Amino acid sequence: MANNPSQLLPSELIDRCIGSKIWVIMKGDKELVGTLRGFDVYVNMVLEDVTEYEITSEGRRITKLDQILLNGNNIAILVPGGSPDPE
Amino acid sequence: MSTTGEKGSTTTKTPADFLKSIRGRPVVVKLNSGVDYRGILACLDGYMNIAMEQTEEYVNGQLKNKYGDAFIRGNNVLYISTSKRTLADGA
Repeated sequence: MANNPSQLLPSELIDRCIGSKIWVIMKGDKELVGTLRGFDVYVNMVLEDVTEYEITSEGRRITKLDQILLNGNNIAILVPGGSPDPE
Repeated sequence: MSTTGEKGSTTTKTPADFLKSIRGRPVVVKLNSGVDYRGILACLDGYMNIAMEQTEEYVNGQLKNKYGDAFIRGNNVLYISTSKRTLADGA
């Protein structure tokens, strides 16, 4: 029962994303897409080759970042595989 | 059961590893308010409290202020980024 493969903890799901693209949707109008390198119990995340999207009244502001430590405090949703957007 | 398991194929880098690796490097720190701070990372801790040197304050991408030394309380930090940043100013 303890090792029922159909039971998957949320943290295990994120662990399976390590090394692949992930789409992070923040509280407020901000999203990031990058390669997940690691995370901790607070879901602070280390991301690589990151594209940051800030949705403002004038449109999207895009920022490219090499490697970041993202504070888990404002993370709302994680989507494995990256954004469906072409850019 | 480990949350940050030891994976062989890809190099995992936990937040703790990242903090260890970036001391003394040029960084960009973005706060929740949207303000950017660029400078040399002097030291930091697990709360993301940060001490920076040669700090430049950018509001809306424009340089607003310079500080020789600056302490940033960790609760304000959105992210800490290594500073090899290509600024693609999208519309």
